[in-house]
Amino acid sequence: MRDILIPGDMVASEPLRMENTYVENGKTFAKVLGMYEREKKTLVPLEGVWIPKIGDIVVGIITGTKNTVYEVDLNFFGRSILIGSKYERQSYKNGDVVEAIVKDVEDRKTVILSGPKILYGGTVLNIKPIKVPRVIGKNNTMIGQIADLTGCNMIVGKNGTVWLKGEGVGVATEAIRQIEAEAHISGLTERIKRMLEEKCGPRRPRTQETEGAEEKFE
Amino acid sequence: MGAMDLVKNHYIKEILARGVREDGRGMFDFRNMKIVPGVIDHAEGSAQVDLGNTRVLAGVKMQVDEPMPDTPNQGNQIMSAELLPLAHAEYETGPPSPEAIELARVVDRGIRAANCIDLEGLFLEEGKVWSVFADIYVLNYDGNLFDASTLAVMAALMNARVPDYKDGKADYTNKATPLKINSVVASTTFCKLDRSLLLDPDMHEEGAADCRITITTDGEGVRAMQKGMSGSLSTSEIEKLVDLSFDKYREVKKKLEESSRRRD
Amino acid sequence: MANKANKPQLLVNGKRLDGRAFNELRPLKIEAAVLKNADGSAYLEWGNNKILAAVYGPIEAMPKHVADPAKAIIKCRYSMAPFSSVGEHSRSGPNRRAIEISKVTKEAFENVVMLNDFPGSEIDIFIEVLQSDGGTRAAGITAAAVALANAGIHMKDLIYAVSAGKIDGNIVLDFNMIEDNYSDSDMPMAISPRNNDVLLLQMDGHFTREELKKAMGMVIEAGKTITKLQKDALNEVYKKAEVKYEEGA
Repeated sequence: MRDILIPGDMVASEPLRMENTYVENGKTFAKVLGMYEREKKTLVPLEGVWIPKIGDIVVGIITGTKNTVYEVDLNFFGRSILIGSKYERQSYKNGDVVEAIVKDVEDRKTVILSGPKILYGGTVLNIKPIKVPRVIGKNNTMIGQIADLTGCNMIVGKNGTVWLKGEGVGVATEAIRQIEAEAHISGLTERIKRMLEEKCGPRRPRTQETEGAEEKFE
Repeated sequence: MGAMDLVKNHYIKEILARGVREDGRGMFDFRNMKIVPGVIDHAEGSAQVDLGNTRVLAGVKMQVDEPMPDTPNQGNQIMSAELLPLAHAEYETGPPSPEAIELARVVDRGIRAANCIDLEGLFLEEGKVWSVFADIYVLNYDGNLFDASTLAVMAALMNARVPDYKDGKADYTNKATPLKINSVVASTTFCKLDRSLLLDPDMHEEGAADCRITITTDGEGVRAMQKGMSGSLSTSEIEKLVDLSFDKYREVKKKLEESSRRRD
Repeated sequence: MANKANKPQLLVNGKRLDGRAFNELRPLKIEAAVLKNADGSAYLEWGNNKILAAVYGPIEAMPKHVADPAKAIIKCRYSMAPFSSVGEHSRSGPNRRAIEISKVTKEAFENVVMLNDFPGSEIDIFIEVLQSDGGTRAAGITAAAVALANAGIHMKDLIYAVSAGKIDGNIVLDFNMIEDNYSDSDMPMAISPRNNDVLLLQMDGHFTREELKKAMGMVIEAGKTITKLQKDALNEVYKKAEVKYEEGA
């Protein structure tokens, strides 16, 4: 059973420890608009911002540089910084798109990044961070099929920023927007596949443009 | 400028060099245009216009006023625009920005120059005339507010009904007479990016542009123009764009007439 | 409550001018997720009110000195369009009345938004009255609550607001414009329906203790209908895609 819950809806008449809920007077209430799965006892948000966690792979844009400390825009309410190594020769400039890992989160709002990789060329797209797992799909199935059928190279950050490059950016963007709108409806993978095949024909070889991406820091 | 623009500016130019726009449109295509007149009953006239994801609501109010000293026998036309903070994350609350003032003035000039509103017909009696207030309310911003706003104000004027005039006052409970419209104008806004010229720029194209030009025509002649941003245009480019704006005028006018017919 | 001298008869044979019973709401229609750029939005028609509410955030609090490192701050702007009323054109931008409404609205939402979940951020609530017909502050709050939920903001509850007041000694719910102008007392309230706590309360005119109790009871009773319509509007957004799939398959 799946139900859409709205903030203030009672989840249980007993106190439960469940993400996206709160307990008041011994009862558990939803605190976010979400899909409640009775069996799994989970409330999955349908909307909302990215809450950074250590280990998240993100895509960001360099927006400020000071010596070897870089400000990175991750399209969320906190700050995000990347600290370059002393031995690093290549630096970043404003507007560079990077893929990186969240190494630490301070006070729930300052994100420290590591392991950056510049993503050369292409464009970026912001989607609802809540929808990222569906855009990637189980074992990368969704993102894999978009890449295969459009020939577009893509990296999807947990923060909702997607980097795209190649001929098929337009169709890939359309596919991602559709996933975002229909993420909670079953049969999504098939539906997206049909849409892509209609637009691009059967699978075509992927261009190897990501080869340009370089490992930066350790 | 947001972080996104840092990436988009470069990307948009890169694909334009190959003759491609981000949404796949031709260089001189408008985005999808939707006109809904009569959305605010309390206003004398109103219309909501969608141009792609740009959404503008125009409301027309009329009230009994004194004439301007230099035009004692004419009604007044007063235009204003608000870039509402709900329309875009970077729009802020506060007094009208220079962008909002420019927008209102450019739309006002086109409509005034073509005598769209029959201002002489708005004379009531010695010292009393109608003022026509047209307010542009930007609800969602995705580029090209000029064309969307001219269209919305035009549609709202075509939809407007004049209140009855009784004992020196407006009777807002009786609004039977349509506001007289002398002519219809449409504006076309182009951007120049590197060497490419394109119609109806979206938000990111506007952000990447070197130069912008708005040409307002009434089908017969050019009625108003406004060049914006620091880039430049050659005289031959301007001539080309004026020709295009005449072509586009017919397209826009047809849309306007269709939407006002649907209403009646 | 001006012009008491030419007060029209607001109640005829126990009915109101628009035919409603004393405890009857005007027709209310809510739609969620109506604007592309906003993180959450709602459009509401309540009687002849037409209201657009939008939420941006949580985003980084600006300017930096207003940020609270421990929690989110809420900013709220209520404003009326210059073409929103039946009479003359009004000046655009918030006036003193609008600034007060913005403040009490913000304070109502501060009670339910889980500010500690978004430290250092700001949440912006914009309420634009496109057409006004009495009770716009209540309508604005009801719309903004839907917009906040639609933005995925963590909240304890989905709040609503409505007003009750007095006409010729009778307690009456949800004034329209003319009732608003000539009533004996008016009391807009915002309520958190999970416990019926009062989050906004303004009142002027005259109530006896008994009348006040009755008016509050009427507001809470009406809340059941309003809350249901708010929830339906949110459910509709996620059902919409379902229909599209069935049709498009």
